[in-house]
Amino acid sequence: MRAEPISLGGWQRRERILTVSVAGIFALVLMRLFFLQVLQGQRYRELSEGNRIRVEVLTAPRGEVRDRKGRLLADCVPSFTVTLDPFDKAYTRNPAHIDSTLATLGPILGVDPTLLKEKIQRERKVSFLPIRLKRNVDIKSVAFVSEHRDQLPGVEVESEPLRRYPLGLMASHLLGYVGEISDKELLDPQYGDYLSGDLIGRMGIERRYEKILRGQDGKRFLEVNALGRKAELLGDKHPIVPRRGVDLELTIDLDVQRAAEEAFAPGARGAVVALDPRNGEVLALASKPNYDPNEFSTGITQERWSELSGGGNYPLFNRAIQAAYPPGSTLKPFTSLAGLECGAIVPGTVFASSCTGEFRFGTRLFGCWNHDGHGRLSMHDAIVRSCDVYFYQLGLRIGLERLADFMSKLQLSEKTGIDLPQERRGLFPDRGWYDRRFGTGRWSRGLTLNVAIGQGEVSLTPVKLAQLAAFVGNGGVLWKPHLVRSVASGASAQAYDSLRQVVPVSPYNLEAVRSAMASVVSDPNGTGGQARLDSIAVAGKTGTAQNPHGKDHALFICFAPAEAPRIAVAVLVENAGHGSSAAAPIARKVLEAFFHPAPPESAAVMTGR
Amino acid sequence: MFEARFSSDIDRPLLAATLILTLIGVAFVFSATSMASASAEHGLYLKQIAYLLLALLAGGLIAAVPYRVYEGRTAYLLYGVALGLLVLTLFVGHVGLGAQRWLGWGPVKIQPSELAKVATVILLASQLGDRKKDLTQIRNLVRPIVTAGIPFLLVLKQPDLGTSVAFVAMLLTMLYWAGLPLLYLFFLISPIANVALSFYTPAWFVFLGVLAVILYRSRIRLLPLLLVVGVNLIVGIATPQIWNHLQPYQKQRITTFLDPGADAYGAGYQIIQSKIAIGSGQVFGKGYLHGTQKGLAFLPEQHTDFIYSVVGEETGFVGAALVASLYLLLILRGIRVAHHARNKFGGLLAIGMTSIFLYHVLVNIWMTVGLAPVTGLPLPLLSYGGSSLVASFLQVGLIQNVAMRWRDY
Repeated sequence: MRAEPISLGGWQRRERILTVSVAGIFALVLMRLFFLQVLQGQRYRELSEGNRIRVEVLTAPRGEVRDRKGRLLADCVPSFTVTLDPFDKAYTRNPAHIDSTLATLGPILGVDPTLLKEKIQRERKVSFLPIRLKRNVDIKSVAFVSEHRDQLPGVEVESEPLRRYPLGLMASHLLGYVGEISDKELLDPQYGDYLSGDLIGRMGIERRYEKILRGQDGKRFLEVNALGRKAELLGDKHPIVPRRGVDLELTIDLDVQRAAEEAFAPGARGAVVALDPRNGEVLALASKPNYDPNEFSTGITQERWSELSGGGNYPLFNRAIQAAYPPGSTLKPFTSLAGLECGAIVPGTVFASSCTGEFRFGTRLFGCWNHDGHGRLSMHDAIVRSCDVYFYQLGLRIGLERLADFMSKLQLSEKTGIDLPQERRGLFPDRGWYDRRFGTGRWSRGLTLNVAIGQGEVSLTPVKLAQLAAFVGNGGVLWKPHLVRSVASGASAQAYDSLRQVVPVSPYNLEAVRSAMASVVSDPNGTGGQARLDSIAVAGKTGTAQNPHGKDHALFICFAPAEAPRIAVAVLVENAGHGSSAAAPIARKVLEAFFHPAPPESAAVMTGR
Repeated sequence: MFEARFSSDIDRPLLAATLILTLIGVAFVFSATSMASASAEHGLYLKQIAYLLLALLAGGLIAAVPYRVYEGRTAYLLYGVALGLLVLTLFVGHVGLGAQRWLGWGPVKIQPSELAKVATVILLASQLGDRKKDLTQIRNLVRPIVTAGIPFLLVLKQPDLGTSVAFVAMLLTMLYWAGLPLLYLFFLISPIANVALSFYTPAWFVFLGVLAVILYRSRIRLLPLLLVVGVNLIVGIATPQIWNHLQPYQKQRITTFLDPGADAYGAGYQIIQSKIAIGSGQVFGKGYLHGTQKGLAFLPEQHTDFIYSVVGEETGFVGAALVASLYLLLILRGIRVAHHARNKFGGLLAIGMTSIFLYHVLVNIWMTVGLAPVTGLPLPLLSYGGSSLVASFLQVGLIQNVAMRWRDY
């Protein structure tokens, strides 16, 4: 009958071994069931009826942020958060009970009970954890909650780190802020390890380095008895210890940052970016008006949010990287460089038409800012005195195609790649762009005149302008601006290579432009005299950009010392008029703070350590 | 087809256990979803009944065709189709619980990994069924390892660690059944043990010592000896090196991958709640439909992965032990059928199908009673889900196929 199953030998034995091991494994299961249901059944029955197991999240403090000299920009301080567990027996038995709890709590916490109810209904769908009703609760409310525990089932006071920005408004845009994660983000698998109510970085460094700043939350498993007293769950589950986020040291120099922010008149709008031209490190990045990131740490009301995100001045908007402005005359050094590089001119070239204050092109008249005219100028003097007529002619001689070609080498229409989120691209239009915009061949060559002086469709962000200024100063390298040198592991040579991009330009041509920019500041006829320092030679270029929204924007780009720069700055002031009078003085204050830092005693106060 | 002399040899205890477990499954899918907040879940037990009809049909059909038909070329064909579906899943699959596991046309969604397990067992049985091959020869092991390895990697990529390990479990069980000595099985899995131990140097040295002694005593041939030693040394030395060179986020990715529930949604919490549910059932349970823990919505997968905790809560130790015993019966009958099979292919087919049950039942029940990490494996026959149910019936159908034809081939 049986077909010789023993042919390979030991088949009989195999069956027996398998049968016995399977039976053994199942015996283990039965023993486990006996242990859980019979021996410990009573205890688990009690847990399932009267008491509750709850998980307490131990929030990890975010990493600290400091400037390049170790001065504190952001840290965490202990604070109290009031939470409510919607799965408390009191509420699962009688859902209406939650309303009376909230009616008691609302006035104490200063939050509308209906808002709290909405929050609970939204969050209990995605999480079984206690829901944070309010962060950073004062000690009086904490005392109230503790005293009225019997009327407030499931309500707890938990200790949580609170994000603090000790300098308030200072450096707000580059730091960013933290806020509760949105429902939409929670659905994104990228944020799979976030829970409803968790804080997440928004804007700036907080956003860009969220992953490493955040750390890792821990957990504690507690058994809550009928009196609401907590006890560590015995033996069952060890607490998971929170891991603090990684500290960041920024390349920012707080002295320079402070000077940049304080140089603006109250109410002014604009931006300052200062870079180290030798490596692309961001020394300062300011945007005005600014906001206080502390406001967001504890949760912000809807009204206050609308005020900050709009309110006419858009204080949340980071003008240094998110706004592109016409560069105006600050583009002229680069138009010159384009002309030199493609052989359209040499530094001594003088054009046929001398500047009479205007220039006729076809039937149209293009004016120079100086209505009296500059006369006949070389390239050097045209930069120094910012003569528009010279650059109209230069633009025509180069031609749009060659000009756009050179600007694309300088990556004018690309992002700089700074390590901040939401950077915007600038634009230098080429033929293709105009063809798409106006239809092939349906645009005039006169547009070339406008873009040659940085007007028309050209637009650049302040950070791009700073990168370009550094480019002239450092002899032809486009550094990717960055605020964090490296994370944890020391900067390696390769890391620096990826930030460095050499644009092949002739050193001779670059020197011609650089020396002209030096004369802009040092020459009595130059437009940049306001940026002059006593002991250090500054090279710069002013810009006054017309725009359809009111008064001209004032711009200034510079680097210093002119011979071997250690800092490059771009300044933009919205609707402030001339670059020479409104932007250059701000640049001078930034340069002064860099070369003559504040005496150390005031610095010590800031350290906060 | 179903001639009387065949059907009279159907393994009746196995059939009975299968059907009883399935009906218990429908009853508890109903119970688990009766309190669900989403009304869409209330009708799930009706869908499960529809799946059951489909599964009965599929199981009957696969049992009716003499199993020798599945050997050889058919095995490769089925395997090829199953792999094709797995590959397709990686590209156009639906994302569920963070992994691409589903393939769908309109309202129909299937989980190809379930079918791949059945197809892989058939092909492995076909390859190992050749009794002329000496399995202690390394070249005769390569083909089965590749056969199980490809679906293992494809499912791992989804990522679904729990299901992918099923391919390893079936391979080891079938190799053992096919005659590979336990010693060789130990050599096969030694590199895996090595990876785990390599982080703790004393343990690693002890392990190497044990391995050396066993190797010495085993007197295996030189080539396999060198291979085992070489692979173990390389793996043991390289693992900590590689690990130390990973970025923190890469490390985190791997630990999350190995222990998917460890983070946000709190696997620890799920396990505790599952234990409370089962434990609070005490001896006789709270009564059918009277479980209280499910109403708290603490488990998103009460009707799938955690259905056993509902059984334990509502029917107590009596019910939970009964269900476990039914699984034990099913598996022991499967081993018996394999033992009495007419030929080696049939025996391997039956033992392979049984090993899939064994692996799933153990990992799932151990998870719900808190003895294993959360892996997201369903409990066969009980958990809600069409693909799993159809695959389970295909497995039972094939075991019955072998049982029916033990006299005649």
